[in-house]
Amino acid sequence: MKIVTFAKHVPSSVVTPRIAHSGDRIDEDGLSHEVNEADLYAIEEALYQRSLHKGSVTAITIGPGRAKEALHIAYAKGVDQAIQVVDEALRGVNPVLNVMAAAKVVKKLEYDMIFAGIQAEDDLQGQFGIGLAEALGIPAVTAVTEIRASPGEKVATVMRELGGGFKEEIEVDLPCLLTIQFGIRRLRYTPVMAIVRSRSRKIEQVTVESLAIPTEGLQGNAPLRVMKLSYPEDGGRCELIRGSAEEAARKLVHKLVEAGVV
Amino acid sequence: MAGADVIIVCEAGKGQTEAANTRLIAIGEELTRHCSGRLLCLLAGHDIGTKAAELSRHVDEVCVADSPLLANYNPEAHLKIAQTLVEELQPRVVLFGHTFIGMDLAPRLASRLGVGVASNCFDVRIENDALSFMRPMYRGRINARVVMDFRPIIVTLQLGGAEPPAAGRAGTVRRIDVGPVENAKIKPLRTIEPAPTGIDIAKADIVVAGGRGIGEKQNFTLVAELAEALGGVPACSRPLVDMGWFGTSHQVGLSGNTVKPKLYIACGISGAVEHLHGMKESKTIVAINKDPDAPIFKVAHYGVVGDLNEIVPQLTREVRAVRGGKDPRRET
Ligand SMILES: Cc1cc2nc3c(=O)[nH]c(=O)nc-3n(C[C@H](O)[C@H](O)[C@H](O)COP(=O)(O)OP(=O)(O)OC[C@H]3O[C@@H](n4cnc5c(N)ncnc54)[C@H](O)[C@@H]3O)c2cc1C
Repeated sequence: MKIVTFAKHVPSSVVTPRIAHSGDRIDEDGLSHEVNEADLYAIEEALYQRSLHKGSVTAITIGPGRAKEALHIAYAKGVDQAIQVVDEALRGVNPVLNVMAAAKVVKKLEYDMIFAGIQAEDDLQGQFGIGLAEALGIPAVTAVTEIRASPGEKVATVMRELGGGFKEEIEVDLPCLLTIQFGIRRLRYTPVMAIVRSRSRKIEQVTVESLAIPTEGLQGNAPLRVMKLSYPEDGGRCELIRGSAEEAARKLVHKLVEAGVV
Repeated sequence: MAGADVIIVCEAGKGQTEAANTRLIAIGEELTRHCSGRLLCLLAGHDIGTKAAELSRHVDEVCVADSPLLANYNPEAHLKIAQTLVEELQPRVVLFGHTFIGMDLAPRLASRLGVGVASNCFDVRIENDALSFMRPMYRGRINARVVMDFRPIIVTLQLGGAEPPAAGRAGTVRRIDVGPVENAKIKPLRTIEPAPTGIDIAKADIVVAGGRGIGEKQNFTLVAELAEALGGVPACSRPLVDMGWFGTSHQVGLSGNTVKPKLYIACGISGAVEHLHGMKESKTIVAINKDPDAPIFKVAHYGVVGDLNEIVPQLTREVRAVRGGKDPRRET
């Protein structure tokens, strides 16, 4: 079975990015990046499926130069092949371009299943997988937590989440695209040395320009335009309790007692 | 007037249906008031006559697709119905709840129509007939105000925050045809309800939740002890369920449970959008986190910035000192 899995290189989850002066995007200077968490689950699941059905796993990322780190990590986890769509101009954050570029690259590959994380932590849109499946004309199932594939019969039975603990079992024809939900499988720890070693492995690079994607309609006239970014307000509601752990605990409990909740 | 209508795509299934529909009606109301169009509702499912009648009291027309084919959520069939209706009615806006169904269906519809979708929106602004929406990005650390230049505007709305609106209309109910999907490649087999566990964290007055900041499983004792001292229940964020420490019945959030206790204490939880979904309407929220920028502080009433391993045991001690024998479980 041949599986293609997408990995996005997104700003680290532990810091708040700075908003650029233009106000409509973030400032990438000094920002560290990581593999989108849901995409790690997708890679893990792809490798598990390979262990059951043989075949190969190809990881693809779309983004500027630094994004190849996502592929080093994918290699360290065990994928067989890695492709980067180099997008220096839009830095991998234009959803329309991402779908068109991914479709062009995937059309040249053989595949039974395509995996993508359920959503990317940077735009929180959750549209890439569905958009790609539509562009390729293949079925998509989202929020998948379990996969039983029968590549011989060209079909898979999958479990998807419906929220609030409800699930749905679905049969889907192959080839298909599945968006992978957190927790589908335990994430195995990737030793730093394995990542370092995989830096020497071959990454096939194609530039966005070489894919001849029509660029009008990508900027300015995009389907969704960000007018302005802002940091969430707390309305000054959150009262920070300071002091040593002991002092803070005493003050906090006092406040909760006063407020009548304890 | 064509082009000014708003379609709300309501849900008839189980789970998050009520919260989604309430929110859709509230925002749909607001938008139609400003756009002077009609408020229309699409309801697809099986045996949904009662629900359709209920909804008709809030909208101008309910379009009901009622068929055994729709008993389970069927992406292809639901999409076909939504697309046909939108192409027929040419609305200005199509609103979905940010539920698992909305998250699935809205981008499918947008892809088919060649337009964008703004997901996870929590606020709408209407200025000189121009609509813009607020939505989170970067794990909720930054908000974006977005606009869409194409029609229809497709949005998924975060649930909650809206009071159930008073029934103010007497809409018609129109049945729409549901044919089988040709060359279906996706076949829903069955919907599975969560197994009963006897645990219902939604009923508790006090919930103390631990997140990934707990680190090691054994550290969860700190959270459990604080919960016990307060006479509350322990709960957790999703990663702890994904790591196999707990079942979904303990999980707070979009894919777990929604809780609205008197007191919610979040220990080592960053406050991702999906987590906030399940607890942001708690009466009093306390956050303990070593990252002063963690989004959880934006919804908290009280915050302590620091190491939960130091703070939580002190809190437990303090609570025990203050409450003494007040724990009902100790009295019996
Ligand atoms: C469709 C969908 C549905 C989802 N449903 C849910 C859901 O129902 N519930 C849910 O919770 N998530 C859900 N998620 C996942 C969600 O996006 C986040 O990944 C998750 O909530 C993060 O959990 P966390 O805050 O525990 O972990 P993290 O985001 O990793 O945060 C850990 C926090 O602990 C702090 N910390 C670390 N060490 C310490 C210390 N010693 N002392 C104090 N603080 C410390 C860190 O500063 C950090 O803020 C869903 C995601 C998707 C895409």
